[in-house]
Amino acid sequence: MQIMIVDDERIIRESFFHWFQKSGHKVATAASGSKALEKLGETPFDLLFVDIKMPGMDGIELLAAVKETYPETMVIIITAYGSIESAVQAMRIGATDYLLKPFKPDQLSLVMEKVVQQQKRQSEYNYLKGRLEKITRFDNIIGQSSAMTAIFEMISEVAGTDASVLLVGETGTGKELIAKAIHAKSPRANLPFIAINCGAIPDTLLESELFGHQKGAYTGAVQERKGFFEVVNGGTLFLDEVGEISPKMQVDLLRVLEEKKITQVGSRQPVTVDFRLITATSRNLEAQINAGDFREDFYYRINVIQIEIPPLRQRREDIQLLAEHFLKKFCHETTKRVDRISPHASRILNAYDWPGNVRELENAIERAVVLAKSRILNESDFAFLRPPPAAAPPGPSLREMEKYHICRILDQHGWNVTQAAKALEINRVTLHKKIRRYQLKPDDGEKR
Amino acid sequence: MTGTTNPNRATPVVAVVPFERVPTTAAKVIAAHVSGYLNLAAETLPPRTIPPDTLDPGRLQYNAASLIQAIEAIPLKNYFKVIALFDVDLFIPLFTHVFGEARQNGRVAIVSLFRLESHADGSSPPSDRVLERVAKIALHELGHLLNLLHCDDDRCLMHFSGGVDTLDQTTFNFCRYCRTALHRALRQGGPVTKPP
Repeated sequence: MQIMIVDDERIIRESFFHWFQKSGHKVATAASGSKALEKLGETPFDLLFVDIKMPGMDGIELLAAVKETYPETMVIIITAYGSIESAVQAMRIGATDYLLKPFKPDQLSLVMEKVVQQQKRQSEYNYLKGRLEKITRFDNIIGQSSAMTAIFEMISEVAGTDASVLLVGETGTGKELIAKAIHAKSPRANLPFIAINCGAIPDTLLESELFGHQKGAYTGAVQERKGFFEVVNGGTLFLDEVGEISPKMQVDLLRVLEEKKITQVGSRQPVTVDFRLITATSRNLEAQINAGDFREDFYYRINVIQIEIPPLRQRREDIQLLAEHFLKKFCHETTKRVDRISPHASRILNAYDWPGNVRELENAIERAVVLAKSRILNESDFAFLRPPPAAAPPGPSLREMEKYHICRILDQHGWNVTQAAKALEINRVTLHKKIRRYQLKPDDGEKR
Repeated sequence: MTGTTNPNRATPVVAVVPFERVPTTAAKVIAAHVSGYLNLAAETLPPRTIPPDTLDPGRLQYNAASLIQAIEAIPLKNYFKVIALFDVDLFIPLFTHVFGEARQNGRVAIVSLFRLESHADGSSPPSDRVLERVAKIALHELGHLLNLLHCDDDRCLMHFSGGVDTLDQTTFNFCRYCRTALHRALRQGGPVTKPP
């Protein structure tokens, strides 16, 4: 057990030190509360013996500070000037015990037995917490919110089918992880999973990537190449940012989905293909359909089952769980010793809106771990998380004000027209008219 | 048995030093147990005077740490380990009292009869029980001098006993783990000899 003795009297520190040394405990000493906190920042301790009367920070203040930042560390208050008030206060703050100096040798052994029992219970609790964490994980997806639990159930249900799945969610919500989970639980699990970010590939290249090409089909096509539809060969094809696909490409994909046949670029020979399609988008495809940017028939073909992944700000109960998971992950990767996130820093993480969702949280924890100077991630480690700049105020006219307000409400509801109309207390048709009148698009909110 | 040191010993010898009015029998019992249980030669030395500055005037008890320090200064360098025996009340700043005290891997252990001469209820035990207790404490403290730690097995001599009741329940045995550690320490320790 790692024990620290905090007492301004050297003779007491030494006495404790020699005593615990005989039981094989690792013992450190500190002459003041601030020195003790410094040491706690460097090394984890299981148990602290803290004297109440000390110059500067007294024992009760130290107890409160320890319980706030290191709740698992047990603290035993020791004093030569005991009073019922200070004993009650110490126990209320979370002291494990309260001893009057000097104590009978038997008394210390009994307290140590109690501490060992408490430590065992803590270990059991940590074990069960770990088990619970496994339960709150679905493959590599983490979440304990009702929204995520419903998604886990949905994944299990749809995995066994061959139906096309459309994943809808803001960027960074983990759409690809969910696609992978569906694939991993499907009968196609032993076959390839190929992910393509349609937004990152120019249209002409995307055609070649998906369909493949014959030698000499175009300049630079020096040899025949199979496209992803063929390479996936019975597996799952995941098209991310499907809203970025051009209307022409949508027609080609629709045909493939209906006929399950493809024709390589530069070839006339159709090839039968077998794959399961999962698509994802961070855009509002219904709005794109209304704006004429997305084909309705293609939308219905890919949207047999829709899974909506809520943004992190709408499932704040997952933030702590995810933050702890990423903390462990990056401590392991960087071999840096960071034990926990302080309660104050946790409050900051919980209050932040995470526009970049889980990915932004992951990056924030990684950055904090890499730059951490102590065992605890504090408020200052997340100083880089700034609230987004306030939107520019609209112009003075009523029209400008209405346009601004509608756009803001649409943004808030992820451009779900039904929900936005409900919030605005107007019907959907009226809202659609206003969207057309003001020529509003999902991107307008970001530009605003 | 002699009080003089014997330079260049072939085998390690433990010195048992009684202080002031301590009965010689108790010192001899300790020496006999050290020889019997640890297979070490033990000598009982003539009684000595307690250094007066080790008495704490506030507590009217003798400071165990100060006593150890004072005995370490006595020229007994030819002895492997030293067990000092008292009949005064000992304390360390942490505790109201101690039966004995020794530093891990140190050279001097101290034992007191003071609290061993009565039961927890204040009644007096027979003298053989007192001698049994003092021998247990002496072997326990000698264990610390040989770097043994407190043992979780409440039947082992290295189990910490805070009261005479628990001490009486402890058997005259080291558990197998402590016995192994003891033999290892004795093999490594060897005789302490003066340089020629």
